[in-house]
Amino acid sequence: MIAFKYTKTDGAEYLSHLDLLRHIYRTMRRADIDVAYSGGYHAHPRIFLNNPLGTGIKSVAEYGAVESTFAGDFMEAFNSRSPDGVKVTKWAYVKENPNYANCIVKCTYTAEGIQPFDIDNFLSEKSIVITDLRGREVDIRPRIYTVERRGDRLLFTLGCGENNLRPDLFCSYLEKRFGGHAEDIIKTASIMSGDEFV
Amino acid sequence: MTVNIDELKDILLKVEKPSRYTGGEYGEVKCPPSPFYFCMAFPDLYEVGMSNLGIKIVAESFIKRGYAADYCFAPYTDFGDAIKAAGVPLYSLALKKPLAEFDMIGFSLQFELCYTNLLYMLDLAGIPLRRADRAGKKYPVIAVGGPCAVNPEPLADFVDIVFIGDGESVDADVAGIYLECGGATEEFYRRAAELEGVYVPALMEVKYDKEGHICGFESNFKPRRAIVCDLDNAIFPSSQPVPNCESVFDRSIIEVMRGCYRGCRFCQAGFIYRPVRQRSVETLTRQACSLIASTGYDEVSLNSLSTGDYPHLRELLRSLKGSLPEGVTLALPSLRVDSFDSEFAQDARKISLTFAPEAGSQRLRDVINKDITEEEILSAAESAFDIGYSAVKLYFMLGLPTENDDDLKAIRRICDLIKSAYGRKKRAKSLRISVSVSTFIPKPFTPFQWEAQCTGEEVERKQNILKQTLYIKGVTLSWSDYFTSRLEAVFARGDRKLAPVLERAYRLGCRFDGWTKELKKDLWEQAFEECGVDPGIYTRERGTDEILPWDFIDIGIDKKFFARERQRAYSGVVTGSCKNACSGCGLQKKCPAARGEI
Ligand code: SF4
Repeated sequence: MIAFKYTKTDGAEYLSHLDLLRHIYRTMRRADIDVAYSGGYHAHPRIFLNNPLGTGIKSVAEYGAVESTFAGDFMEAFNSRSPDGVKVTKWAYVKENPNYANCIVKCTYTAEGIQPFDIDNFLSEKSIVITDLRGREVDIRPRIYTVERRGDRLLFTLGCGENNLRPDLFCSYLEKRFGGHAEDIIKTASIMSGDEFV
Repeated sequence: MTVNIDELKDILLKVEKPSRYTGGEYGEVKCPPSPFYFCMAFPDLYEVGMSNLGIKIVAESFIKRGYAADYCFAPYTDFGDAIKAAGVPLYSLALKKPLAEFDMIGFSLQFELCYTNLLYMLDLAGIPLRRADRAGKKYPVIAVGGPCAVNPEPLADFVDIVFIGDGESVDADVAGIYLECGGATEEFYRRAAELEGVYVPALMEVKYDKEGHICGFESNFKPRRAIVCDLDNAIFPSSQPVPNCESVFDRSIIEVMRGCYRGCRFCQAGFIYRPVRQRSVETLTRQACSLIASTGYDEVSLNSLSTGDYPHLRELLRSLKGSLPEGVTLALPSLRVDSFDSEFAQDARKISLTFAPEAGSQRLRDVINKDITEEEILSAAESAFDIGYSAVKLYFMLGLPTENDDDLKAIRRICDLIKSAYGRKKRAKSLRISVSVSTFIPKPFTPFQWEAQCTGEEVERKQNILKQTLYIKGVTLSWSDYFTSRLEAVFARGDRKLAPVLERAYRLGCRFDGWTKELKKDLWEQAFEECGVDPGIYTRERGTDEILPWDFIDIGIDKKFFARERQRAYSGVVTGSCKNACSGCGLQKKCPAARGEI
């Protein structure tokens, strides 16, 4: 298997997860990177991506894996045939499917435009309750790991997977509470329970 | 100026399928600075336009000559309304350049119900709709082309240039003249109007008599259809942008032939694309391989009006199978009944089998020159059933000239025969037949161009007959919306007097009229009424001595030929395929079939 880290920028942040999967599959076909198929009646290409990112959120830290016997320079082959917004930045052969959808537990994001606020104070709160997209009340405090200010940007690490907190939801909470308008949310790192490429 | 999509984020997050509007497709046009900017506009959604081969051919014809060509599709109403409210002009896909900054915008008119969308796109681009309101100011040249351009008169007051016929060469020739004239000057229009395939509405005046009927055309120019004689060497885009989101057809398209030998009398495409021109097996194989390699698609569609008539089909299929990478499937979307055989059928996916007998009885099929017999349908169906098909789709038309109730009832007979053919052997699944019925629309440049379209009451009566006769197990019946067909009929045979109606309808809120859920019947009726135009004037039978609004265009086929064909229709005489014998339509000089070369 080949595991890879890739970007979702330059418009690709608006692709749906299924369309992104299709893009990656077609890129591999164009690049002559063979893709194994699952067995069964509805055979599908064995490409596995990390959990879907919310629409409009850019990322330089997406992860995926493909079952392939390709032996050349994967990054070069892929990038020569991929859309501008979907580029591989790192890759390795791995023994088995790293299952990024499960092993990524936290993600780090940055955003511009949130009014400065007292971060220490904010993080000292025991519970922060918001209404999620389905209208349910949830305590997001346990899903917030770090918040830092770096120049104009806010850098924050949130839970992912089972413990997921959408960065856009988090930002709109901060906007409401502290003011400003979050621009240019970018996922900069995916933090895994194990190593990046096993 | 360019539009920055990052600044549209709040809008993009709120609309359905934002990736329609972001560009960034793999294979999108990368335009170096250019002396001429052409925007290929498509007045329908991204996923419809992206599946259209014609617009890619036109764009390629500009790119080949060193001009810039970008695309723009009609944004769905959610995005359109939002950018309008935000004051963001409609922009092109790859360059993100406002449409108003292009030198020329060319709209592809695939069917008449897209006309309000053309106004919608101009409006979103901040370009005055009417030519008169653009005069003397720096706006792009507004051009139209595509099948509807054979009667562009309803749009004559809105557009500057009409491209009639094959777009491979002439569209880009016009760009050259534009540059020589230093813009859209009077000289530019005069010189363009001389080209084969170009019509400049401003340079023609339509004369009306006291009753308001057309009594003449005044112009120094005679618009003629452009015909690419050598399709094999014609421009073809060897790579094409791959859409961001799932589109109507996610596959590579090659055009096997242009034109159709058959001459079904209701079918406009069968006449306006004459004569039949083909590509060679080598060329098609090369094009298919290059498209598959450059797009990553896993299906190639072999398009034409009647791919089964391609004389080298077997050879082509063999060559494609031998040259394309393993796993690439072939789609043959327009196989006719009589050319259907199981060897080809196995290449297509076993979903359902489609036949378009168009008329229920042999009598009426002879009238419309649809040369298919019951036996042919049945033997094709049977061989398909034997390889596992269990669903049949049948297409019919209602309201055809000379149609009587027995012709309609004969549809039942076809269904029964198909059912008993299916029942002759034990099959795993039960048979499903779906019957779709559309309303006949008389079109310009067909032998039926003079015919009336059925009235609403007639259509309803005929539909009731069908409902009663086709109430059988396993058969589902559906029809196209009557109002939609009527609107299409009005604009298909329309004239310049429809301009105010069209504009009014758009101002009232009509757009995406081809989408059933968007069509606003009441607003259209209001527009006709406010403008004092009776749509019935356009759907009525036309007198043979009348000057028809499109008579000034030389499509290459004699009007007498159409009249002759109409008489043959009334006598139920079939005119055979051009492959077998030339029936002298007027194109003999340009037609390889007439010269016996096919
Ligand atoms: S010239 Fe003859 S063969 Fe050619 S399209 Fe016309 S009728 Fe058919």
